Amino acid sequence: MTESVHIHLRINGEVRSLQVETKRTLLEVLRQDLLLTGTKRGCNQGVCGACSILVDGHSIRSCLSLAVAMQDRDIVTIEGLSDGARLDRVQQAFLDAGAIQCGFCMPGMIITAKALLDRNPRPSTEEIRHALGNNICRCSGYVKVIDAVHRAATT
Amino acid sequence: MPRREARAKATGAAAYTDDIVLPRMLYGAVLGSDYAHARIRSYNTSAAEALPGVKVVLTGEKLDGKLHGKCIEDEPILATGKVRYIGEPVAAVAAIDYATAKRALQLIDIQYEELPAVFDAEAALASDAPPIHEERKRYGGRVPPLENPNLASYTAFKEGDAEAAWSQCDVIVEDTYETPAQQHMYLEPCSTLAAFDRAADQLTIWTSTQGVFIVQYAIAKWLGMPMSKVRVIAPYIGGAFGGKGGVTNQPIAAALAIAAGAPVKLTYSREDDMTMMKSRHPSRIYMRTGARRDGTLVAREARIYLNTGAYADEGPFVNAIAVGFSRGPYRIPNIKTEAWCVYTNHLKAGGMRGFGVPQANYASELQIEAIADKLGLDPIELRTRNALVTGDKFLGGQNVDHGTLINCLEAVRRASDWEARRARRPVQPGKRRGVGVSSAAHVSAMNGAGATIKLNEDGSLTVNTGAVDVGQGSDTVLSQLAAGVLGVSLDKIKYAAPDTDFSPYNHQTGGSRTTYTVGVAVERASEHARDQILEHASEMLECSVEELELRPGGLVGVKGTATRELPFVSIAKRALYATGGPIMGTANWVYEAERFDPKRTLTAGFAPNAVGVFLFAALIVEVEVDEATGKVAIVEAWAAHDVGRAINPGAVEGQIQGGLVQGFGLALIEELLWDDGRLVNPTMMDYKVPGAMDVPYEIHPIILEDPERTGPFGARGIGEIPLNLAAPAVCNAIEHAIGRKVTTIPATGERVLRAMI
Amino acid sequence: MKYLEPETVDEAITALASAEDARCLAGGATLVAMLNAELVDPKVLVGLRKIHALRGISRTADGIRIGAMTTHDEIAADDRLTGATAVLRSAAGQIAHDAIRHVGTIGGSIAHADPSADWPAAITAAGASVEIASSGGTRSVSADEFFLGYLQTAVQPGELVTAIDIPWGPENARGHYLKFARVDGDYATASIAIVLAMDGKRCDYIRFAAGACGPGPLRVVAAEERLLGTELTAEDIAAAGDLLAAEADPVSDVRGSSEYRRLLIPRLLQRAITLVTRQ
Repeated sequence: MTESVHIHLRINGEVRSLQVETKRTLLEVLRQDLLLTGTKRGCNQGVCGACSILVDGHSIRSCLSLAVAMQDRDIVTIEGLSDGARLDRVQQAFLDAGAIQCGFCMPGMIITAKALLDRNPRPSTEEIRHALGNNICRCSGYVKVIDAVHRAATT
Repeated sequence: MPRREARAKATGAAAYTDDIVLPRMLYGAVLGSDYAHARIRSYNTSAAEALPGVKVVLTGEKLDGKLHGKCIEDEPILATGKVRYIGEPVAAVAAIDYATAKRALQLIDIQYEELPAVFDAEAALASDAPPIHEERKRYGGRVPPLENPNLASYTAFKEGDAEAAWSQCDVIVEDTYETPAQQHMYLEPCSTLAAFDRAADQLTIWTSTQGVFIVQYAIAKWLGMPMSKVRVIAPYIGGAFGGKGGVTNQPIAAALAIAAGAPVKLTYSREDDMTMMKSRHPSRIYMRTGARRDGTLVAREARIYLNTGAYADEGPFVNAIAVGFSRGPYRIPNIKTEAWCVYTNHLKAGGMRGFGVPQANYASELQIEAIADKLGLDPIELRTRNALVTGDKFLGGQNVDHGTLINCLEAVRRASDWEARRARRPVQPGKRRGVGVSSAAHVSAMNGAGATIKLNEDGSLTVNTGAVDVGQGSDTVLSQLAAGVLGVSLDKIKYAAPDTDFSPYNHQTGGSRTTYTVGVAVERASEHARDQILEHASEMLECSVEELELRPGGLVGVKGTATRELPFVSIAKRALYATGGPIMGTANWVYEAERFDPKRTLTAGFAPNAVGVFLFAALIVEVEVDEATGKVAIVEAWAAHDVGRAINPGAVEGQIQGGLVQGFGLALIEELLWDDGRLVNPTMMDYKVPGAMDVPYEIHPIILEDPERTGPFGARGIGEIPLNLAAPAVCNAIEHAIGRKVTTIPATGERVLRAMI
Repeated sequence: MKYLEPETVDEAITALASAEDARCLAGGATLVAMLNAELVDPKVLVGLRKIHALRGISRTADGIRIGAMTTHDEIAADDRLTGATAVLRSAAGQIAHDAIRHVGTIGGSIAHADPSADWPAAITAAGASVEIASSGGTRSVSADEFFLGYLQTAVQPGELVTAIDIPWGPENARGHYLKFARVDGDYATASIAIVLAMDGKRCDYIRFAAGACGPGPLRVVAAEERLLGTELTAEDIAAAGDLLAAEADPVSDVRGSSEYRRLLIPRLLQRAITLVTRQ
């Protein structure tokens, strides 16, 4: 039987206290315990990027993060970027650029774009491609995704 | 025009199947076979059943063994009697959580008696090959059985007399081409939530699918229930590309839910999805083409072997389509193509974007290139000379109504500055550059669609078709069509979620059919609603219908007046409360398929009717080949597609760019690999699809619009054709760079380096 | 699975001793993926993130010292890694992608000793040594002796990798890591890590290793000696590359066949030397 512990996670500005098994990833806890289902599971191996979240401002993989090891970190999920009424400028830029198709990669893509723009407000196309290189999108061919990040940088 | 649902997707609010939670919900998990081919001797599930938290353990033995399949009824819900590939679902568990369900799988003991297995399509046709479907003759379905139990289907087309025509050819090229098992790799793995209400005897299924009605039909058939007791709902779908056509894991989830009397969520891990679902058909194609010295194509012969794996799925259709497109978008008067769709002990193959055309077109376009090489002709010039034009007949005898390939070729030739670019060939140390071209055709249509459009009490409208938006944007496009007919803004139109209880019947998303076929139904339903609105208005405004016009914003006005007008809301209320009853426009449509013309084309074997209207496209790509490693990078691409009319140009560009990038993956990277029947790369770590760094930003879509006579607002479907273009253009560019042909894709660094040295 | 978060190396060693199959959790990029796939199931997991002593890059008398819990992106960003130590910086920048580089650590990677990873060849070429702590104190093991085989290292149960020491090497030394992968960010199909120094036209120091071409990083002294004192002509390099390739024992896998990898070794060596001498 795997051990369970009591932890506190700071997610989207709120401290959540939870009882979790030590083996569980942050991705599972977000999706199953907190019903923050905007963060997606595409591979559970750290390859596809659909589960990207912001941790202390960096885009990281929630599927590669044990929940117990994420205490005292500042976690932001896609739900933390906006209340749905007023979008974050990165979200709005993805809408306006027509970058969103099936949308399954999009929460992770937008999170990664947000992290990029926070540290590099005017990235070049090359820098955008690099930053998004590990966020797989099977629909768009990336052109409009890159356009969206440029658009977000200039709005 | 932004996507309707983009806001929900950008905020994480959009619920995909796995995001839905129901009270008392259980979690499912599926055990895959460890053997490529074996007889099942016995099951022992008692330890799994005894594990606390386990509610149901199912095996093929406990189900009644009904078989189903779209073409051939060859597939059980869970393996019954035999297993035919490694990973084939043999048992399924529902438990209180996923970890318990997974643990229970490890406790299931199945005894097998291993049988000899066969993995290559041609080897499986040998007389001494192990029979994979001994029962083939007893299977139902629309494809009749053949003598060889491993031959799922055979299709042949013959026009003219190729054998006699070889003597008229000044140049003949011949080669063998191989294409891989490409995985769909939709980002959302297959997922189903099935709930069974024992009291009401009703099964409700939320699932990631391309078509709710196909799932409803299949589940009902497999489980022996009337369709009236099965309801299927499509939430948001995280990509499909053919991989969620037909059924996925819905029957297993449904069987678990019925046995448990509780909702069961069955979401595959990526590895389960890759091991248990399906791929594009791997192919081996032997092709020979001849031409006269002036470049006129004269004759072609092709033999196509498609490896359909353990079950036929859509294989016989894919096989037939591959034959139908084996002439490419060209006039070749003498042609004979045969194709064999063969069972093997691999993962099953089914429909994937392009549906047999990427395989056939790859071989065809490399042969055209080879002829251009031999004759010293410009590859675009050779294609142009032989291109089908309006009034020509496609292979099979169907009319080409919009033969615009030459326009597409011309558009990419100009945009890419072809002549200069081919001649320039800038060289960086250690790299070689090349430029290549390809053409393609595809169809758009297939099967029936219905649409309803309701005028709501407040003057807004609800469009309902049952068509599933798998990400391509059809919710938006179909809404735009209704808005276009009725002159209202998009925010006044609701697109109803596909639900078998409420939606008109629709075949699935696939066959590049939604904009075209469902679009026709929506256009006509909207016109039907408009006619009713105008009739009410003519009575209300006391004038004839001919004197009325629709005005933007949901108004009907008398022509030539500014004030004599009515909002839809007044008409809706009149219809609802006073006269005529609620307004609802309806339309049904099916593409009425032509039969192949027997005077032109001899067909043999399984040859479904012509499936739709044709469209054409052309692509030029520039590549850079690394001399040290053979790795190919695509530098820039120009693609021209005649889409008839771009209802939503941004979405059309997205289809072209996305389809090309999937095609670039097929051309350079993607390939499922097996070792003795075991898939060796069933993860995203090992099976790679292109990332943002692996494809160029400079992918230029060029949209041509020669309006489709029969399409909604002149539109044709664009979903698949970009993929048909990618691999041949890339390999032709590689040949231009290194002077050698690469006839097996993906053209990995290893294959290209071997070709170079 | 019990999860512990010690704050000192001593506490970590005590924690590691609490179960036979105890494992350390560094960045998690590999280990959590393995947990997800149920490839490992330790009874005790020792999270190292709170041990500040394991973090950071510092100058020492002879070179650079990198704490085991230093992340790939921290190493890639550190401009003190010049000369021979530049091979590490070059490698760090090519590991996977940002999201992985931000959490993955050098200590975690070398302790896992996946021959397809980028660190084993890089620290071998750099002539680095690995500091390993145990209840008895610390010991230092040269990279050549650290990697013992596929996923095998000199680290014994109960021990912990604490730091990597990289010497400056000779004056004028320069380093480069050349990685070849199927797609961006994938594990290498093959790679060459190289450190060399030139005396005028002649090479007076050279050390290189191939990655992903055997059960561990592949270093062949005879191949280095073949180049020492030469002008590094194409012919010299081809001969050295052949010596290196002859000792390679690559697997055939989804990233390429063993024959392809053998073909790549001299080709990549040629390119790596061209790149590094042009610097």
